Amino acid sequence: MTPKKRYKSARVKLIRADAQNGVYGPAVARPRALLRRFSRERHDLIWATVFLLPAMVAILSTRVWPTVGAISSSLHTGFPGGVREPVFSWFDNYVRLFENPAFIEMIVRTIAFNLVINPLQIAIALVVSLAMTRTIPFRGLWRTLVFIPATVPIVGSSIAWGVGLRSDGPVNAVISALGGTPQPFFTSPAQALASIILVATWIGVGYWMLFLIAGIEAIPKEYYEAAKIDRAGPIRTFFSITVPQLKRPLLFVLVACTVANFVLFVPIQLITNGGPQSSTTLLMFDAYRTTFGYGSRNLGAAEVVILTSIMLLFVALQFFLLREDREPKGGPR
Amino acid sequence: MTKSSFLSNSKVNIPATAIAVLLATVFILPALWILGGSLRPSGEIFGSISPLSWGTLFPSSVSLDNYTSLLSGGFATALGNSFVASILAVVVGLALSALASYALAALSFRGRSAIFAIIVVGFMVPFEAIAIPLSQQFGDWGLTNTVVGLVLPAIGNGLAIFNLRQYFLSLPNSLREAARIDGASEIRILWSIYVPNSGSALTNSGLLIFLGQWTSYLWPLLVINEQDLQVAPVALAKTFGEYSTDFGQNFAGAVMLALVPALLMFAMQRFFGGLAMSSGEK
Amino acid sequence: MKSIKRSAIAIFVVAAIFATVGCAAASNDVDSNPADSGADATATWSIPDADPVATITLLGLPDLIDGNMQPVLDAFAEAHPNITVVYQNVPFDALNAAIDAGVSAKNGTPDVYWADMPRIAALSARGYTTDLTKQFASYRDAWDDASYEGASVGDTLQGVPIANSSQILYYNKDLLDSAGVDYPSNDPNSRITWEGIKQNSKTLVADGAKNGIVFGQVDRYYQLQALPVSLGGSPGATGEGNLKPDITSEPWVKSMDFYGSLFAEGLSPRGITPEQNDQEFLDGNTAYYVQGPWFLPALNSSTINWGVALHPYFADGVPVTATGSWALAMNPFSQNKEATAIFMKWMSVDEGAGYIKYRPDAELPANKAGKDFYYAKDIFKSDEGGKAAKIIGFETGNTAVNRLSTVGYVEFESIVNRAFADIRNGTDARTALEAASTELETAWQTYK
Repeated sequence: MTPKKRYKSARVKLIRADAQNGVYGPAVARPRALLRRFSRERHDLIWATVFLLPAMVAILSTRVWPTVGAISSSLHTGFPGGVREPVFSWFDNYVRLFENPAFIEMIVRTIAFNLVINPLQIAIALVVSLAMTRTIPFRGLWRTLVFIPATVPIVGSSIAWGVGLRSDGPVNAVISALGGTPQPFFTSPAQALASIILVATWIGVGYWMLFLIAGIEAIPKEYYEAAKIDRAGPIRTFFSITVPQLKRPLLFVLVACTVANFVLFVPIQLITNGGPQSSTTLLMFDAYRTTFGYGSRNLGAAEVVILTSIMLLFVALQFFLLREDREPKGGPR
Repeated sequence: MTKSSFLSNSKVNIPATAIAVLLATVFILPALWILGGSLRPSGEIFGSISPLSWGTLFPSSVSLDNYTSLLSGGFATALGNSFVASILAVVVGLALSALASYALAALSFRGRSAIFAIIVVGFMVPFEAIAIPLSQQFGDWGLTNTVVGLVLPAIGNGLAIFNLRQYFLSLPNSLREAARIDGASEIRILWSIYVPNSGSALTNSGLLIFLGQWTSYLWPLLVINEQDLQVAPVALAKTFGEYSTDFGQNFAGAVMLALVPALLMFAMQRFFGGLAMSSGEK
Repeated sequence: MKSIKRSAIAIFVVAAIFATVGCAAASNDVDSNPADSGADATATWSIPDADPVATITLLGLPDLIDGNMQPVLDAFAEAHPNITVVYQNVPFDALNAAIDAGVSAKNGTPDVYWADMPRIAALSARGYTTDLTKQFASYRDAWDDASYEGASVGDTLQGVPIANSSQILYYNKDLLDSAGVDYPSNDPNSRITWEGIKQNSKTLVADGAKNGIVFGQVDRYYQLQALPVSLGGSPGATGEGNLKPDITSEPWVKSMDFYGSLFAEGLSPRGITPEQNDQEFLDGNTAYYVQGPWFLPALNSSTINWGVALHPYFADGVPVTATGSWALAMNPFSQNKEATAIFMKWMSVDEGAGYIKYRPDAELPANKAGKDFYYAKDIFKSDEGGKAAKIIGFETGNTAVNRLSTVGYVEFESIVNRAFADIRNGTDARTALEAASTELETAWQTYK
């Protein structure tokens, strides 16, 4: 028997023992023959409806329904803001956006940004999580310290980094002390977006670390023991056991991280305002400016629909890459 | 190097300790600057930036003036409002999420993937895009200046559901099957098997919901216009005046706003960190 | 996972169909006058002599306690006990969203709100303001001409001005003494020039000053408009409704070349946001500082040896200063127009402007009579304070130029501010202005 199968059958034996001892309630004698697939399916459906109802009501009313409204809004054109009723105009907004070369540049920039920052943040978070799940003293303290950037209001963080990366700021002071030349960071079109990536990563890593730690700690230690018995080295163990076992939490953090970075705009708003030379103008920032700055809600809604569609593609790809086809998808079929 | 940390008599991992300390230091430095800034008069914050010295991080004289003036200016009430709203959001939201995640992970029914897709797509739509029409709708329903109106969007947190669902999927289905065979109801299974073994996932999802409500700015701005009912992030924005900004007070508010989730997380680590499924024998 | 993708696509298709079917029957109201969309602007109402009993809602910026709005509202309550004012306060960056959400809900709340004067044209075009020309016709002379124009769209008054602003050249006497630079003059005939400022800044920086010249409102059209207009340029647009961008003219390019050179040559710092500029001067780092009169209280309580002088101008041009501030606008859907008008009149006209008289903060009034209260404030009691009062009086009366009045003001300010920021960070002035002009034309397509 493989370690996995040994493990699973031991588990079931334990549960059966508990069940017989009445841990889960009075044991009712029910011949297995009566548990036909048909009634099981119906049973599941009824319970699923009951369990899902509250959450679905909340999500449908506060997310899905307004999203339909936003899509509908994007199919109208109107005076930016104002009390005049917008007019239904099919895809005029989309045509107008895509005819603008600056908009195309923005989309390319946003996609490039996300292709870089998401794997980067997750990789860093993974390294951090691995370190934080070893045997080290005061582990809870180090974890909390890394998590704190995620708790600081993003406005405060943006101000802090805006000042920190100033030409006369502490980071440049350290660089000078180490013998380098001070960098322009946010004031240079070449470095501004990278600096934004730095700020966003500082904020996000602690967040993703939490979920990856939970994932790492949930890996049964028997697997690692089995690997040791097979004399697998640390790299081999990492790639054959840790990574496959982390697929589910990894999918979660990757998707959540992607969403977070696609909708990121506060640091851009507070530090660079989309500049210099539009190098930090990403899609969400522009959609926010169009909607709230110019009051042009229909055009802004179109931008958001485009943004969400691109995001969906990224997420679908991630679901595909991190799919589990060998293990059963939980739940009898 | 790959020993699980729950073996009691393993030796301390030196390289990992060094990395952990280094990472923690790098990550905490900017936050320390904000803390330092909150303990000194607003005017001193930027004067001490260059040249770089200990004075940049550590104020020469610590004063709590920023805190006292901010708290007495209505921020204390706002903090209280934020707290009530966030706790409420977590209690209701976590219950909803646990129920929904269980259905999505353990039960099997037609349309399960479709429902999951709706939930995932739902949280991908940037909230700012739907906030104004939603707030006007809430206004029509009379939910302006109410707790329900304030908290409802935070309760349906697709990310929290997603997280729990991923975790529930990792619990062997045989558990549920065995319990079902012996007559346990779904609620019983959820409460007695899944929940006790998902400590870390539950706390993470709870933290997600908490932070979602705790840090929300645009929504309370649109839905609450009575100053006494307003929440902390909106109250804090007042430090950005039209002509001048009180950075000292802003940082004091930022510290207070960061402290609550940080303490929560620290407490959770201590109490729930060890409740993962693989934590050895029961 | 294919099923998830398929499901997601299905949902979107259904939603799209839903949306298009549902909205195909939407109203087709392209050319209607915004005022006709439910608001009754053509009704002839007037400000009554007797107060109606009413409750009105005011959406404003200053905080009740920290911003000292409470004394103002208390004073109004005493003068007009029948009218109750409910105050809604929002942070500065949220004002536009709050106005948008509030007025477009069409339920009349708020009845009156804080409006930025250059945005009045844009607000009016969106149907957010009420025409007040008739009702306030008899009070026209209470305000400065520039303020009245600033709150009007063409010949119609769309808001009542409650405040004004000006600009002063502050300087650090110690830094100038140490470098051997003469103080800038307060005599309108020997006003210092921008070229002179640049020249002196080189000396000052060589002598050790961190910043030669700093613009308090750096990267902002409000303050920087004074440069191109001083050389004879337009405020930024021309043509019908001011919807033809005019920021690539010779005066604009020349003045912006000058502006960019200040940063390129190290005379003014890059990367510091406007909020941090005041502190730079108060820390003694800045020699010349262009900022508004609201800086005076902070200066009075600082240890800097400071002085005031007239705002600089280009040697080949004319002196120009920034001006304009807040006005109150009336929600066209308000159910209490008379009461609201009484409140607006009290705030901006009565007793030299109730808003200025009862609010301890030093905000320059738009009301001519209100200036007496303003100049009586303590901040003007010192030597330099007294000079500042004279400067403000002179500039608001002689060199103030309003910002551009156009329906597309919001886009204009946003795009032009970004161009200024790019120029500050090193982009060539002509390139930045031409890019901004293109962007502006695209953005203004909506209005043509």
